[in-house]
Amino acid sequence: MKKLINIRYFLICLGMSYFASSCVDLEEEVFSAVTADNFFQTDEEFISALGQAYTSLGGLGNHSGLWSINEIASDEIVVSHKGGDWFDGGVLLQLHQHEFKSDNPFFQNSWNFLFGGINTCNRLIFSFETLDNPSSEAFIAELRALRALYYYWAMDAFGNVPIVTDFSDVEAPDTKSRQEVYDFILSELNEIIPLLPTAKDGTTYGRMTKWSALMVRMKLYLNAEVYTGTPQWAQAAADASEIINSGVYSLMPSYRNNFVINNSQSTENIFVYPYDKVFAGGFNWVMMTLHIVSQSTFNLTQQPWNGYQTVEEFYNSYVDPDKNPGVQGPVWKGLALEQSTGTIDGRLSNFLVGPQFRSDGTTLVDPGVEPTDPTGRNGDPNGPPLTFMPYLNEISPGGLRQAGARIAKYEFEMGGTNNMSNDFVIFRLSDAILSLAEAKFRLGETTEALALVNQIRARAGNLEPFSTLTEENLFEERGREMYVEMTRRQDLIRFKKYGEAWWPFEGMNRPKQVHSPGSYLELFPIPQPQLLANPKLQQNPGYN
Amino acid sequence: MKKQLRMIFVLFSFLIFCVGNLAYAQQARITGKVTDAATGEGIPGVSILISGTTRGVVTDLDGNYSIEASPSDILQISFIGYITVNEEVGNRTVIDVALAENIQALNEVVVVGYGTQEKKEITSAVTSIKSEDFNQGTVNDPTQLLQGKVAGLNIARPGGNPNSGFNVRLRGISSIGENASPLVVIDGVIGASLSTVDPNDIESMDVLKDGSAAAIYGTRGSAGVILVTTKKGRKGRSVVEFNSSVAVENVARTISVMDAEEYKSIPNSRDLGGSTNWLDEVTNTGLSFINNLSLGGGNESTSYRVSLNSRNVDGVGINSGFDQLNARLSLTQRALKDKATFTVNISNTKVDREFGNENSFRYAIISNPTLPVLDPNPQSPDFGGYSERDIFDWFNPVSIAEQNIADGRDNSLLASIRGEYNFTSKFTGALFYSTQRETEWRGSYSPKTAKFGGGFGRNGLATIVNNERLNDLFEATLNYYETFGKVGTAFLAGYSYQEFLNQGDFTQAGNFLTDAFTYNNIGAALDFANGLASVSSYANSNKLVAFFGRVNFNVEDTYLLSLSARYEGSTRFGANNKWGLFPAISAGVNIANLVDLSGVTSMKFRASYGRTGTQPGDSYLSLLRFGRQGNFFYNGQFVPSYGPVSNANPDLAWETKDEFNIGLDFVILNNKLDGAIDYYTRVTTGMILPINVPVPPNLFPTTQLNIGEMSNSGLEVMLNYRAIQNADFRWTTGVNFSTLKTNLRSLSAGDLSFGEVNYRSNFGSPGQNLTQLIRIQENGPLGQIWGPIQVGVSDDGSPIMKVINGTAEDENGNPVYCNCNDDRTQLGTAYPTLNFGFNNSFSYKNWDLNFFLRGSFGHYLINSYRGFYENTESTTVQNWNIVNTKYFDPNITKAEYNSTHVEKADFVVLDNATLGYNFNVQPGKAVGRIRAYVSVQNPFMFTGYTGVDPEVRYGDSESGNDPLAPGIERRATYFTTTITTLGLNLSF
Repeated sequence: MKKLINIRYFLICLGMSYFASSCVDLEEEVFSAVTADNFFQTDEEFISALGQAYTSLGGLGNHSGLWSINEIASDEIVVSHKGGDWFDGGVLLQLHQHEFKSDNPFFQNSWNFLFGGINTCNRLIFSFETLDNPSSEAFIAELRALRALYYYWAMDAFGNVPIVTDFSDVEAPDTKSRQEVYDFILSELNEIIPLLPTAKDGTTYGRMTKWSALMVRMKLYLNAEVYTGTPQWAQAAADASEIINSGVYSLMPSYRNNFVINNSQSTENIFVYPYDKVFAGGFNWVMMTLHIVSQSTFNLTQQPWNGYQTVEEFYNSYVDPDKNPGVQGPVWKGLALEQSTGTIDGRLSNFLVGPQFRSDGTTLVDPGVEPTDPTGRNGDPNGPPLTFMPYLNEISPGGLRQAGARIAKYEFEMGGTNNMSNDFVIFRLSDAILSLAEAKFRLGETTEALALVNQIRARAGNLEPFSTLTEENLFEERGREMYVEMTRRQDLIRFKKYGEAWWPFEGMNRPKQVHSPGSYLELFPIPQPQLLANPKLQQNPGYN
Repeated sequence: MKKQLRMIFVLFSFLIFCVGNLAYAQQARITGKVTDAATGEGIPGVSILISGTTRGVVTDLDGNYSIEASPSDILQISFIGYITVNEEVGNRTVIDVALAENIQALNEVVVVGYGTQEKKEITSAVTSIKSEDFNQGTVNDPTQLLQGKVAGLNIARPGGNPNSGFNVRLRGISSIGENASPLVVIDGVIGASLSTVDPNDIESMDVLKDGSAAAIYGTRGSAGVILVTTKKGRKGRSVVEFNSSVAVENVARTISVMDAEEYKSIPNSRDLGGSTNWLDEVTNTGLSFINNLSLGGGNESTSYRVSLNSRNVDGVGINSGFDQLNARLSLTQRALKDKATFTVNISNTKVDREFGNENSFRYAIISNPTLPVLDPNPQSPDFGGYSERDIFDWFNPVSIAEQNIADGRDNSLLASIRGEYNFTSKFTGALFYSTQRETEWRGSYSPKTAKFGGGFGRNGLATIVNNERLNDLFEATLNYYETFGKVGTAFLAGYSYQEFLNQGDFTQAGNFLTDAFTYNNIGAALDFANGLASVSSYANSNKLVAFFGRVNFNVEDTYLLSLSARYEGSTRFGANNKWGLFPAISAGVNIANLVDLSGVTSMKFRASYGRTGTQPGDSYLSLLRFGRQGNFFYNGQFVPSYGPVSNANPDLAWETKDEFNIGLDFVILNNKLDGAIDYYTRVTTGMILPINVPVPPNLFPTTQLNIGEMSNSGLEVMLNYRAIQNADFRWTTGVNFSTLKTNLRSLSAGDLSFGEVNYRSNFGSPGQNLTQLIRIQENGPLGQIWGPIQVGVSDDGSPIMKVINGTAEDENGNPVYCNCNDDRTQLGTAYPTLNFGFNNSFSYKNWDLNFFLRGSFGHYLINSYRGFYENTESTTVQNWNIVNTKYFDPNITKAEYNSTHVEKADFVVLDNATLGYNFNVQPGKAVGRIRAYVSVQNPFMFTGYTGVDPEVRYGDSESGNDPLAPGIERRATYFTTTITTLGLNLSF
């Protein structure tokens, strides 16, 4: 009996020791995610890793990021507070009224978009550097070009930002001056432009090429006076000329065709982010701008949000024959009670204005419309039928639900989802042509500049050429051509118009804070969460 | 042959012995008197039962009895309130018995971690609730049995959704980063799911409140522990119990809105011709049937209990309810000459659910009351005949609930086996294994004609979700008991290994040719061809390994000391912090044993300290992981792209909670009053929160860090008073209450910080996105409801907000409201400062009556409905209905969240009242007990709150129950209900 118990003890001890060896192991077993240990092993995995640097760009087409802060702070776009809708803590009003606050989440979103992209580039550059792959060098050059683009945007929006290039550096970075960032981007571009591919075909579509890198450098030079205090018009002209004279790109006969659903055939688009409703969602303008009941116009799968509108004065710069001479025809103006006469600029396809209909052609009614008031002051002048009018009554609180021309630059898909399939244009030949025109204009070569501007006007359709070029009509032409392509804020600053009151801010809680060129408001504040996360960062001057 | 002979001899001897026994077992008449040991008076009505039989008698008015019994019989003498006595008859003919009062407050068995103790030995804050003290009426969720019964344990389910669970919080909240619900242990299975146990099968629930009691559960003890003990079979004749009840459920509280006439009187209203009471349209009377059948019994070596529980519950919402079937087997077998004991518990629960849709309540509240439910002139597009309007954020609520299908099926299996071996009478060892498997299936379909739910936009939309959770536990324990002189000691040592695996998949696809398939043929969706379908799956696992031990010292029930520790590791911890130590110490002294105090039976002072942890709520938080991040357009086609989804944090560790508790357990006034008073203070450090980190150098903008410090303190009092204890009439009353104070000391770790001040949550659309509601402040209490103070109404109908700091000025230099945090302030606190429960039990002859009141005081709620819809803004009036509470001011024409929408939510509720009648049955008859009762739950609620339910909200239901954003009543709150139950209890 004694022996039996000993055997039993022995078995128990054996059992315990089995557990002791295998069951104090606390390694995590990962199933549905990948870690650095089990990834980056095949070429396909590398390409998908490279892709991450680009998919970061998918943040361009949605609400509340870099595009939103640039456009709403300009005279192109406003998101008015419509009855109970779109107040959202006042952040959209603050953006349009230039009362920038560092806790506005739009700034944080933009920062994360930019530095998320930069960081991905750094990480991938580090990976490719450590890996001795024959294609590494080309990938690294491409990633440095893409990183330069992110830095250019960061420097343009926030000015003084940290520079981080080494993924293995774990120190929190400190703020660098705008001049230092400018110099860094320039030296990067100078180094890599010769290494980048020059072909325009399927292999480079949606990828950084020599031409997109030149666009970045051209924009640095074009805005050099703002960025550094020293203008660089000749260099800007040189880069623009190189792109134009390369013959790789040509203006599309139709402006509109650069923005249709299937715009990958454009001969004019230099760099795009290819969105797709299935594979690459995030292009949400259809939701952001259309009215709730517009769902029935385009048979959308979701109800739009009735947010983004065009500033009336900006819209008027298309139809006003004094500003934009050309063929006169029926256009919608003001309250849109009836059509009036104005310039029928071919680029009016940028807007959705006038009465709206269901997809079957019947009248579309907005059951939530304000009471009817023919003056448009206290109610909707057109009554319940949905009519987008260029007129904006006020920014807050009683913005009319049907006020403002809507952003129709990119074709809306019938039966579409909240994600548009049009490819988002980042750089386009027109921009190079107008930039060259501006550089030459600033250098005193006005004749050549005028010819370039008129080239753009001729393509637009129904327009007369300008007889003389002034700073004013150059600026306005640039506006009409580049509407919502995220250049307007930069243009306003460069043309010293950023602090002007753009529309009579009737009904606002406070008068417009008009500011002068060079104001601290030309930079956005560094987002507060970033300052908390990294005590080495410094807030931009003027913000506390 | 020799062997066989011996066998025959043995058999023969045995026969003779038996016959001898038979001859000896002659029946004799036994008489006697049963008296109260304290007073010496006879006790009438005492049950005298011959053990193992159904034969028995009761004592007469003087306490005398007379019964036929054999010398080998055992008389079981029992009476409520006294300790049961077993007397072997032997050769006696007169057996007088003095029954001692059962002072439950001292002798009741309390379940603690890895063992049991008598209440008088307990040195930490533990509350034990037995089945007879559970909440009554229709109780479908085991936690509801405890609601209001335990000081410091707050159990709330805002709204009356039959398919939603209760939020359980012990001593306020222990963590703002991770899980704040107490750990559940069912019959030794750590982390078991309460869905595996039917409320009828629960014998007792014990709540380990303080750190020292919970420390034996290590990294899962911080939120407290609820130990559930299920009913077991008892030695003796088999007992069949049958309980049946039927319950009617009606809407109790909604929010007040305008009827058609009131609405039409408001300027800008849209008269759509009808008159509809939408709240009536989306609700009906719920009917529930609950039946339980159990059979239990046993002999010297085996005891068993089997039970079957069925619940058919219809909620008040259209198409909401569930059908549940639960079966349970509990078996105990002794073997190896009684040295080994095997215990098996198996239970399985199957629930078929119909979820209905809470959004039907949300939209019923704001539906235009002049709109008919059905469209009198159906037009294209066809919405199934229901009225729909092309407006923002409104859908026909009846259509939501009637057209959309949302079904589910849950299955939970829990099986455990325990083998215990007594090496000696003082030394035992046990092995324990359990496995739990929970599966959830969800199928929903929104037909082509349903505007809400995506069916209309997607041309029919089907969704199928599967989740599976596995939990396997192995434990080995050793127990040793020894007495050294006056010192009794008990030692425990153990090893625990537990593995969890979670898996699931999700499929959603639309565009069907026909609605006929609903969710049953998802492959028929055309979305698969055009790429719009979405399919995903996941798997994750984690492990916990622990060594633990405890030693108890007991000096004659007067001086008590307990020391314990658990050394535990988790795969979820970062590589540099895999193991943590969680020690505890507690001590007590019973003054009543040292000095003679008149009327005082027990007066035990105790003090304790314990350290517990909270492990990260998800696996892999410490690892750098890459996940699918969209697609990359590469050479003319989209290829998947991968990017970081988390940063590495090899230092990630558990949250640590250190808790001190001092307490007093007493039994005074000659055993009439017993109670416990506890004061605790606890500090939680290293809370696991996602903190913004600089990008670069980090890859991902947030990292899971151990950060910050939080403290809670509170006072808990539980009193139980046996006011009247007559033979005919008894009245027991009990009260418990608790207070709570929180302080978020810090939200920083080194350079990294959540920010000294931080704002959370979002009021929402329409128009009030980015409107933050809750302030998080270092060195401030948790749950600060934040916003502007309304001081008036301007001519244009906008609320005028108070200028607090005056940082903004108008053109004349006068201070104006800045619409920024400078001019916002704390408007209330989300947590109650006082919770109480008040119970009264009466019995008079065959009648029993119980009622239970519960209340919370000091907390506030943001009434979202009012913040959006209690105004006459033209958008509100044209699109929706107007919320019409006592606060309604027709002059306000702008929806802007402010102080007027933050309401005091103090409440007192009559949780349940039950009246029962016990029919007279003769001992020894087939039916042992018949009781009929009627019970009503939540018939009255006293509160000034105008929203749906003033219950405390511990997290924001619209942001994943974010514990940092409590105190918000969101718009999709399920209406509260009143339940009336008629029931019958039978036992055979």
